[in-house]
Amino acid sequence: MGLLTILKKMKHKEREMRLLMLGLDNAGKTTILKKFNGEDVSTISPTLGFNIKTLEHRGFKLNIWDVGGQKSLRSYWRNYFESTDGLVWVVDSADRLRLDDCKRELSVLLLEERLAGATLLVFANKQDLPGALSKEAIQEAMGLDDIKTHHWCIMGCSAVTGENLLSGVDWLLDDIAARVFTAD
Amino acid sequence: MDVPAAPCRGHEDSSSAGDVVRVPERILKREQARLEDAERRKEVKERHSVAEENSDFFTKTFSRDRAAIDQLIDTCSGTDRASATRTLEEATAKTQLLQKFLNDSMKFLAQYDLRQAQASLQKLQTSLTEKRDEVLPKKKFAFRSRTKAKEEVAEAAAPPQSEETVVDAVTPAGVRFDETVYTKQCGFSHQEAAVLTKTAEELLKQDVLLSHLTDCKVRLLGAPSTLHIKHVRGCEILCGPVSSSVFVDHCRDSTLVVPCQQLRTHNTTATQVYLHVTSRPIIEDCSGVSFAPFTWSYPTLDRDFEVSGLDRTRNNWTQVDDFNWLSASTPSPNWTVVPEGDRRTTWDLNEAHEI
Ligand SMILES: Nc1nc2c(ncn2[C@@H]2O[C@H](COP(=O)(O)OP(=O)(O)OP(=O)(O)O)[C@@H](O)[C@H]2O)c(=O)[nH]1
Ligand SMILES: [Mg+2]
Repeated sequence: MGLLTILKKMKHKEREMRLLMLGLDNAGKTTILKKFNGEDVSTISPTLGFNIKTLEHRGFKLNIWDVGGQKSLRSYWRNYFESTDGLVWVVDSADRLRLDDCKRELSVLLLEERLAGATLLVFANKQDLPGALSKEAIQEAMGLDDIKTHHWCIMGCSAVTGENLLSGVDWLLDDIAARVFTAD
Repeated sequence: MDVPAAPCRGHEDSSSAGDVVRVPERILKREQARLEDAERRKEVKERHSVAEENSDFFTKTFSRDRAAIDQLIDTCSGTDRASATRTLEEATAKTQLLQKFLNDSMKFLAQYDLRQAQASLQKLQTSLTEKRDEVLPKKKFAFRSRTKAKEEVAEAAAPPQSEETVVDAVTPAGVRFDETVYTKQCGFSHQEAAVLTKTAEELLKQDVLLSHLTDCKVRLLGAPSTLHIKHVRGCEILCGPVSSSVFVDHCRDSTLVVPCQQLRTHNTTATQVYLHVTSRPIIEDCSGVSFAPFTWSYPTLDRDFEVSGLDRTRNNWTQVDDFNWLSASTPSPNWTVVPEGDRRTTWDLNEAHEI
């Protein structure tokens, strides 16, 4: 198929990015998604399946996939990997007991070839809680500095107050865009 | 798009927050490259599929790799720290690869094989963790007694029957966090036949942990942020409004009484939950869990409800989702409603009660 054909075919397509949001159950993924979209966050149930939201931000059309993190659902995460531009890994910064689990699940994901080209944003969520670990502590506990295969960044945030959600997504968009443009 | 067969309660909607920009050429090129890439990968996969996508191949490879990891763990001893660290790292890396192999093979495995494989991976993880604790102590979260904690965390003395658990947060790689990360975990652990209480001040916005309790009566008179209940047996646990979630794991023959935003129950059997919950409560790997509406009251309950921000008029205690029961037409056999006549109405500490 020549480029002209492609152009014709895709003429009306919009600038589109696919973001996949994963993390252990209770990390706050759905709360982040809803807060980012300005919705009520007080009635969110644990996700049985997934949520998709399409929203426009800075001229980009973002398809955000939020997949449930309960143990029985983790084996289905792989169904959502294809064509992911950005991976958002959400951590419950107050859940010290499961940091190890959290690290392990993330390292398995990073081995996945279908996520090889994706930029990684780690949200150290629930920073509004007095017992939350700082983003530096999370960075160390998760061994993020050892990640050489992906562009990554960690940000402290709170889905309840909304703090830093926008900056996180902005960083992700900038990184994906820069990567795409310089790749040409 | 590959969408899972089983848990497919998806939810889609859109909204707009800015102007749409037309696609520049480079994005189109990239999209094309992406599609071609996906196509190529699919072809490669299909070529391999005949050889690989059969469960015989899976079973053989899986058990061979598992045995190799088991052996690594077995041979690892604490005499030489550096080499033990290396061996454990190798075992960890191999376990991750094995997990990935399982993930990749999921779509052609029978449910039974899949469960078996998942169970043996879980066992591997456990023996890895145990080995790490054994040969490289303090590499993981270590619980230490209050006396030890006192040396490092200057804190007012806790009430006599209350025990603080100090979580020593250390990275799995063995790098110790700096002192500021040492934090008291609010809660109780390793107690038997005790009456355990905490006040509103102690609980406010805390992540509370109750673990390894047997035949205890617990009263948490305040509004914590999160409540974790792990490995408890024969306990009666009453707690004020929890602003986010209550986690229950490995709990049996117990009674839990709590208002919360989310309830996440795992590996729990023969337990009654008197519940006020503003979202849909869930169970995973549970059986014999029964639910009733929250009925407890204590002097500062109203104030604590306010602090927690929970909506008192919304109680979904019967809207239970069983993550192991995806059939919508037949109800899950793993939970029931406590018949009205059998519900407890008094929670007096002094009253003897048979459950
Ligand atoms: N204090 C505080 N609580 C939060 C924050 N984000 C989420 N929560 C609470 O954490 C609980 C879990 O949030 P969810 O958004 O359902 O978590 P999730 O990651 O989507 O969980 P699964 O769907 O099971 O994977 C809820 O009770 C939220 O209100 C935060 O930033 N601060
Ligand atoms: Mg969710």
